[in-house]
Amino acid sequence: MPSKLLRVGGSVLAVLGVLGILVLHWMVFFWTPTEASMGIIQRIFYIHVPSAWVAFFAFGIVALCGAMYLWLGDERLDHAAVSAAEGGMVFTTIVLLTGPLWGRIAWGTYWTWEPRLTLTLLLWFIYLGYFLVRSSTENPERGKRFSAVVGIVGALDIPLIHLSVLWFRSLHPTPVVMKPEGPTLHPDMLLTLAVGLISFTLLFLGVFLQRYTLAVATHLAAVREREARS
Amino acid sequence: MTYLGQIYAIVWKDLLLELRTRERIAAMGAFAVLAGILFNYSMDQTVVRAQDIAAGLIWMTLVFGGLLGIGRTFHLEAQDGAFQGVLTSPAPKDAVYIGKVAANFVLLYLVALLVVGVFTLFFGLDLGEHPGMLALALALGSLGFVALGTLFSAVSSGTHMGETLLPILVFPLLVPMVIYGVSATGRLLAGRPVADIVGNLRMLGAFAVLALGVGAVLFRFVVEE
Amino acid sequence: MQSAVTPQAPAVARGAPPVLSARGLTREYGVVVAVDGIDLELDAGDFLTVFGPNGAGKTTLLSLLGGRLKPTRGEVWVGGERLAFSDTAWRARIGVLSHQSFLYAHLTVAENLRFFGKLFGLTDLNERIPDRLEQVGLANRSDVLARQLSHGMRQRAALARALLHDPELVLLDEPYTGLDPHAASVLRGVLSSLKDGRRTVVMVTHNLTQGLELANRLAIQVRGRFGWYGERDAVEPETFEHFYHHVVEAGNA
Repeated sequence: MPSKLLRVGGSVLAVLGVLGILVLHWMVFFWTPTEASMGIIQRIFYIHVPSAWVAFFAFGIVALCGAMYLWLGDERLDHAAVSAAEGGMVFTTIVLLTGPLWGRIAWGTYWTWEPRLTLTLLLWFIYLGYFLVRSSTENPERGKRFSAVVGIVGALDIPLIHLSVLWFRSLHPTPVVMKPEGPTLHPDMLLTLAVGLISFTLLFLGVFLQRYTLAVATHLAAVREREARS
Repeated sequence: MTYLGQIYAIVWKDLLLELRTRERIAAMGAFAVLAGILFNYSMDQTVVRAQDIAAGLIWMTLVFGGLLGIGRTFHLEAQDGAFQGVLTSPAPKDAVYIGKVAANFVLLYLVALLVVGVFTLFFGLDLGEHPGMLALALALGSLGFVALGTLFSAVSSGTHMGETLLPILVFPLLVPMVIYGVSATGRLLAGRPVADIVGNLRMLGAFAVLALGVGAVLFRFVVEE
Repeated sequence: MQSAVTPQAPAVARGAPPVLSARGLTREYGVVVAVDGIDLELDAGDFLTVFGPNGAGKTTLLSLLGGRLKPTRGEVWVGGERLAFSDTAWRARIGVLSHQSFLYAHLTVAENLRFFGKLFGLTDLNERIPDRLEQVGLANRSDVLARQLSHGMRQRAALARALLHDPELVLLDEPYTGLDPHAASVLRGVLSSLKDGRRTVVMVTHNLTQGLELANRLAIQVRGRFGWYGERDAVEPETFEHFYHHVVEAGNA
C-alpha cells in the first residue's frame, strides 16, 4: 500500500533527520572551530541557515502543489501543499527566532533590515495569509483554491520582494560590521553546515510525509464515515 | 473583438455604478484629505521638511486609502446575485478580471492624483521639474496595486473575514511596489534627474506586468466554484 | 415506486442530440455530497420540475446544469456540447433565472440588459432589448433603476435578462420566492410562454402547486439523488403531496 510506504518512509526520514540534528549539535558545540570575527554566536548559523533553506524550500512545495491542485483538482495535491505549509511555517518561525538572537550579539541589535531576514518575515506573513484564507471559508474546497492562489502569487512575488529589499539596503546601508557568512568558510564549518542542511531537510521531509499521510487518512476516514451513514 | 467588447462592458458598468453610488471614490478621497490633515499634526515641520518625507507619506496614503476602495470591488457585485449573472455569461474570466482592474485603476489613479494635490496644497510641496514622470510612477504603482488588490479582493470577499483579511494578504506582496515607488517619487521631489529613476520605473512596470499576468490566470480559480 | 428510477433514454436514432444530458453528476463539498450521481436527459420542449426538501441539493444540481459549478464527477452536455470549463461559448446556450434578480440595483433595466448583452457578445441590442422587455411586459420601464422596481417587476426584468440571448436551456431556481399572488400569476404567464417547443426548462422549487403547473416531467430530489422521476401525467395533483412526503421519507430512511 503506497500510503503505508509513505508513512514508514516519513518515519525513517524523520528519525534520520533527528539523529542528524543530534550529530549537528555535537559538531556545533564540540567540534567545529569558532569563527574568528563573530565569536561563539556564529554557531547559531548552523541552525539558522538550514531552517531558512527549509522555510523557502517548503514554500516552493506549497506553490508547486497549489498550482497543480488548481490545474488537476486532485485533493492529494492540496494535502501535500498544506502539509508543506505547516512545516514551512514552523521553520520560518525558527529563522525569525534565531536571526535576532544572532543579531543582538553580532550587530548589537535584535532587528536590522537585513534583506534575507526581512524577506523571511514577509514569508511568515504570507504563510499566515495562507492559513487565514483556509480557516475563514465555510466551503473547504474554496479555502483550498484560495490558499493555492496565495501560495502561487507569493512564490512569484518573492524574487521581486527579494530584489527590492536588497536594492533598498544598498541605498540605506545598515550598520553591519560583517556579512553573515563569508565566502571563505573553514572546511570543518562547511561540513557542519552541510550536516545541518541535510538533517533539517530530512526532518522536514519526514514530518511532511507523516503529515501528508495523516491528511489523506483523515480525508478517507471522513469519506468512509459519510458512506456508512448513507 | 467580442473579448474587447466584454472588457469594455465591465469597465463601463463599473464606472457607471461608481458614478451613481460614489461609495468607493468618496471613501478613498475623504481618506486622502483627512490623512493629509493628520500628517500635518504628526510631524514637526520645523524639524523635518515635508518635501523630504512626502514621498513615503504619499505612497502610504495611497496604499491605505486605496485598500478601502479596492477591498469593496465585489461589494455591489454580491447584491442580488449580479455577479452570478457575470459568471454564467460567456465572458472569459480573464476578461472580467481585466475589466475590473481597469475600472479600479481609473478610480485609484484619480485618488493618487488627489493625494499629490492634497500634499501640494497642504505642505507646499514642490513637484520638481518632471511632474509627468511623477504621474507615470504613480500610474505604474497604481496599476500593480489594483492588479493584486482586485485579485485578493475577490479572495477576501469570499471569506467570512471579508475586507479585514485584505491587508494581511496584500501588504507583504506590495513591498516591491512601495520600495520602488517611494524611491522614484523621493528622487523626483529631491530634484534628481530623470535618468536616476528609470530603473525604479522599470521595476514598477515589471511588478505591474507580473501582477496583471498572474491575476488574469488565477482569477478564474477564485471565482469559479 | 419508492426505488430510484433512472430516467428513460429517449427513443434511439433521433437526429438531434438531447438538449440537456447529465451523466453520473456528482458534487461534493468536502465530505458532504450535495448531488449524488444524477443522470438526466431532456429534449426540446421538455419542462422538468425538481422538487425536494431544503438541503436536498436542488440548487447545487441547477448550478451544475448551468455550468456555474464544476462537478466533482460526471458530466453535463448541452445541445451536444460538453460543459468544459476552459471554454465558455456554451454558456450562451443557457439562461438562468433565480430568486435573486442578477441585476445591478443602480443601473436601469435597459442598462442592465445592455451590459449583459455585451457580455454575451450580442450585437443587435437596440432591437433585442425593447423586444424582450415587450415580451415580459416591461416596455415602459426600460429607464427605471432596477432598485426602484417592485419585486414582481424586478423578477420579470430578470427573466428578460435570462432570455436576452435566446438560450435553448432555461434554468429556474425558485423563481416564485417572495412574489405576491398577483406577481406570481403574471410570472407564471410569462414562464408558460417558454413552452414553445424550442426550449428546455428545468425548474427547482419546494412549492408543490407551482411546480406541477407547467411541467411535463417531475423529479423528487432527496439527499442528492432523485428519489423519484417520472412523467407529469403519472401523478394526480390531489394525491401528489401525499406521494411527495412518502418519497422524501423513503429517501431519508
